[in-house]
Amino acid sequence: MSSSHERVLAALELREPDRVPTFDLMNEYATVYEMLGRKPGPTGKLFGNPYTAKVLDRVFPLLTKVPALSAMVSDPELARFAHDAAEAATVMGYDSAWISYFPILRFLSSKKALDIYGRAYDVVLDQQGNLANPMYREGLFAGPEDWQAWDKKPLLALPGKVHQVYSKIVKDFGEKLFIFGFSCYGLYENTWQSLGFSRYTVAIRREKEFMRRYIKFFEDLHCLILEAMADAGLPATVYTDDLAYRSGPMVSPKVIDELYGDAYRRIAETAHRLGMKILFHSCGNTTQFLKLFADYGFDAVHPLEPTAGMELAEVKQLVGDRLCLVGNIDVTHILVDATKEEVFEDVRKAIQDAGPGGGYILAPDHSHPEISVKRLRWMKEAGEKYGHYPLPGREEI
Amino acid sequence: MSDTLGRIRDAVADLDLDAVEPLVKEAVAAGEEPDQILETMGAGMARVGELFESGEYFLADLVLAGEMMKEGVAVIEPLLKKEARAGKGTVVLCTVKGDIHDIGKNLVGTMLSSAGFKVVDLGVDVHEDKVVEAVKSNGAKAVALSVLLTTMVASIGDIVAALTEAGLRDQVKIAIGGACTTPELAERMQVDAIGRDAVEAVRIFEGWLA
Repeated sequence: MSSSHERVLAALELREPDRVPTFDLMNEYATVYEMLGRKPGPTGKLFGNPYTAKVLDRVFPLLTKVPALSAMVSDPELARFAHDAAEAATVMGYDSAWISYFPILRFLSSKKALDIYGRAYDVVLDQQGNLANPMYREGLFAGPEDWQAWDKKPLLALPGKVHQVYSKIVKDFGEKLFIFGFSCYGLYENTWQSLGFSRYTVAIRREKEFMRRYIKFFEDLHCLILEAMADAGLPATVYTDDLAYRSGPMVSPKVIDELYGDAYRRIAETAHRLGMKILFHSCGNTTQFLKLFADYGFDAVHPLEPTAGMELAEVKQLVGDRLCLVGNIDVTHILVDATKEEVFEDVRKAIQDAGPGGGYILAPDHSHPEISVKRLRWMKEAGEKYGHYPLPGREEI
Repeated sequence: MSDTLGRIRDAVADLDLDAVEPLVKEAVAAGEEPDQILETMGAGMARVGELFESGEYFLADLVLAGEMMKEGVAVIEPLLKKEARAGKGTVVLCTVKGDIHDIGKNLVGTMLSSAGFKVVDLGVDVHEDKVVEAVKSNGAKAVALSVLLTTMVASIGDIVAALTEAGLRDQVKIAIGGACTTPELAERMQVDAIGRDAVEAVRIFEGWLA
């Protein structure tokens, strides 16, 4: 087992490693290819160029009539990017990384896409013309009938694809890099986004039986995907479900617990039974959920956004004895345009607040295309400067 | 306030989803004035806002209350006098260019309507020219801009610049809100206020227009 693996495992198990490990969410073309010092593939340019976009606008509608063909356009691109993202994480010298592979998109045109969960998106290009994370526009289901009629074969094919792609990534990079796989959005996101939020708030009160069936389907699917990930050799997985926004929970924690609590427990248990660690990712201010995440059995929580009011010292006090804390390095200023001194100071403070006793992994609090790779390197450098155990006392660090 | 109106207000405030529509029908049948029914639902919505601010209710509860309002308003809509619905003034509302997130925007729209404002909702991904046109054609004195994405904040500046260029900036107040907004951003973009949530948005616009 490499030192990175030992380091990350120790942090996840709330033991003191040799130093605070590092982690990054590797899902932006701009940063991944800057890290690699290579140009990204031409896919984004095809969408951005008005002439090729016109061709895509003619081809994609034809492809949507044959789902297998449609998948052949997007899935290999996503697999290639996942592999490149893992390579970039090793080039950066990260101990661990979140490597996404979610072959769920089906392009309708150069501007529009939908996914196999029933969500519509706008295609987004970053400032360099690369494909960026698509922007959710609306749900496609008005109610139970639409879900009943929905073609679920692509969803059921996910575990096989996940196994194939991660097997190669683990074989090529798994020795050096502790990889967190991610291939399935969370149950809450899947269920509200495919209905639309307004419709969802009504459905959870008026259509309880439908919601139970709907959630159960994704719970079962998630567990199958975990089996595929474990078989591929992944040591860990990210469970991502954005339950909160900047000011707090979107839905009452009590309601979330009633609707999803049992499923969350089963997902965490399944990951553990398969020998994997599992990290709960939710953007926003998750303070009111932290104890629940620990109760459900998750090992770690990410991203703990400072702009959403997440204070590491407070989180450490609340759940630091039950959850490993991952993230909190700001991506609105610190990792975008801050000075080297500011980056070092931010990292120093994060380690001071969350590092004592282990249980902290240094990481950006999210990803977006304008994050500066230079500042990510400073973040890592600062982690090496301040993060060696035993950590100095509060007054020395 | 009659017993039925009181029950309508409480049903909205208590998020009693299936009670509002039948109660509104009952109130109409009993001869209550549609404007009075609307005002009553608005009072229930204001209570929902208070409970949201105190932390008892959550975003989903605000949205649900908005859905209940829609069901109630659908019953009385044909009976409402149009001019009675813009009592507190007109607010032009949109999610800025490049951003298509609409939960926050819709919520602000519902809360402002419930509080008695006329809301001109331009939708999402709105170009600055459309905002200028809407301010002009509606004689609006206030603009509410929603932005979730850090990468789209420049669109706020585009709207401010377009309103300035059209000679309208001095006659409209602009408030922004959304996940990536901060007081520093408001200052940098030269807007007049930042709203933390939809309830605060109502207070801001009431301070300006009501």
